Amino acid sequence: MARRRRQQFANWAIGFSLALFTVWTLAPILWLVVSSLMEQQALTATPPDFSAGSFTLQNYAEVMTAAAALGHGLLNSLIVAVATTAVALAVGAPAAYALARLQLPGAGLILLLILATQMFPGIVVAIPLFIVMSRVGLIDSRLGLIVVYLSFNLPIVIWILRGFFLGIPTGLERAASVDGASIFQTFRLIVLPISWPPIFATAIFAFIESWNEFFFALILTRQNAQTVPLVISQFAGQYQTVFGQMMAAAAMAVAPVVFLAVIFRRSIMQGFSEGMIKG
Amino acid sequence: MAKVELMGVTKRFGAHEVCANISLAIVDGEFVTLLGPPGCGKTTTLNMIAGLEDVTSGEIRMDGKIVNDLTPFERDVAMVFQNYALYPHMTVAENIGFTLRLRHMPRAEIAKRVEAIAEVLELTPSLGRLPFQLSGGQQQRVAIGRAMVREPKTFLFDEPFSNLDAALRVRMRSEIKLLHRRLGVTSIFVTHDQEEALSISDRVAVMNRGRVEQFGTPEEIYVRPVSRYVARFIGSPQIDLQEGEAVIAEHGSGFRVGGALFSLPRATAEILGHLGPLELGIRPEHVVLSERGVDAIVEIVQPVGPASFVALRWPGGLLTARAPGMSRLKAGEAVHFFVEPEQMMFFDKASGRRVLASPSRPEG
Repeated sequence: MARRRRQQFANWAIGFSLALFTVWTLAPILWLVVSSLMEQQALTATPPDFSAGSFTLQNYAEVMTAAAALGHGLLNSLIVAVATTAVALAVGAPAAYALARLQLPGAGLILLLILATQMFPGIVVAIPLFIVMSRVGLIDSRLGLIVVYLSFNLPIVIWILRGFFLGIPTGLERAASVDGASIFQTFRLIVLPISWPPIFATAIFAFIESWNEFFFALILTRQNAQTVPLVISQFAGQYQTVFGQMMAAAAMAVAPVVFLAVIFRRSIMQGFSEGMIKG
Repeated sequence: MAKVELMGVTKRFGAHEVCANISLAIVDGEFVTLLGPPGCGKTTTLNMIAGLEDVTSGEIRMDGKIVNDLTPFERDVAMVFQNYALYPHMTVAENIGFTLRLRHMPRAEIAKRVEAIAEVLELTPSLGRLPFQLSGGQQQRVAIGRAMVREPKTFLFDEPFSNLDAALRVRMRSEIKLLHRRLGVTSIFVTHDQEEALSISDRVAVMNRGRVEQFGTPEEIYVRPVSRYVARFIGSPQIDLQEGEAVIAEHGSGFRVGGALFSLPRATAEILGHLGPLELGIRPEHVVLSERGVDAIVEIVQPVGPASFVALRWPGGLLTARAPGMSRLKAGEAVHFFVEPEQMMFFDKASGRRVLASPSRPEG
């Protein structure tokens, strides 16, 4: 009896903690949505005026019509994020497979070096990176951003997918080898088709990383290649911050990522748990 | 079909020697089983023959040609894996036809061949299904079909029945044997199940710690094991081993175990007397329950249908006897038993080697 009650209490405690964590995580997003729907005055009043009259879609309308920059930013973000994700997977998946399966000399060192690139905070490489990018003429270009985003997405893609590939039973590849498949054929015809959940999860991850990135975009772009996070930040002016519009823009920027995560949550969970546990 | 020879094949993983100096000559069209407990190196040996594992030293030859550096495909071997290793995203037809597809065979030709194989293996209704939709037995047959479709020179089987239930396992044995008889392809089979090995093989290589302990026909390894290890590994229930000593007397020479004396010709006892400490091995079916002989008490009776296994307590300890049919013996009953001299096996206690392998009369 006592044990059952203890079990019930444990369940309750876990449930409560998870609920608290969820509220903690979602509160800013809720606040984002609520404030994007409020008039500036109602929002900035102390305390904020939550009466029905304060709510409006005006912010969205203004952001859409007035700020062409947002549309441009969304397009830039989309191109940069999609390209980064595509290249990271196209290069990262075969690399991960090679590091997982081919007995490459120095594979351990290569992996360590790949990981080492992740150990520097962005600020350390910002200035050298800026100099290099300006020399090669890639400042304020989407290509420049893609190259930089690849530098931190590719290592993660390689590490995650390598973990997954290690977890695939070798039997399938041995069977393919006996059937006469080359290593490339084995990868393309056997390994890739059965690996889509983790690859997909990794793709979503890389996409979100690129979509949300702010710091390098701030340093490496001016007008042309500005991505969404930068456009949003500009609603905070020197003399006035247009909170409502800023929040509306932010809500629109977050939406694709949230939709991706919600729609594909099962694949993402499955992909990552396979990669982590088996690896 | 191919002649497969292993000459002094050794495999080391770091300092760990998995296979030590293995030499086997497998005749064209023969069905050979590598038999041994888990970790004895049998699967590694098979993988080296397949070309999935490098050879540390030694030579593997197929039809006289050294194949050490050839890929599995170039060796023209086909393999059935322990967990079948079916491609989970491909239908049965695609699984079987994959190897042909890799060789750029025309689709129509592939379909024709796959259908022919499916017919033989009774897989026709399942051709469009995915592996996870099949029963264990069907998956097994797909794996065999995938190996057959290439018409390879050598078939390799890595414990292919270990995931099947007992009844299906026994059925698959006869299917494999039939298949082998029909195709006549050299086949090498790995198992840890001695009964399976005896029932399907032309010859069996009994392996122990990376070495081949004995290579011979099922009859040879059962009736004339070269060592205690082989004698114990083959036969169910296991052979009973008892320590004892040779006794030479005017009337009643023999081998004494505990207080009991097993009669032997004087000449045999004399030879045994000159050897070091010995163990006597007795197989259950060689224990004859009778009016005379060694005193024993029935401990338990286990009828299994065609026979009953009777555990006897006697001065030497416990001994299992095989009695025909459903035995009427009861626990606690007093009985007597004897063993014909030519059925006794003697092993050197220290080395485990069989001594006096052929006493006065031929065994069996």
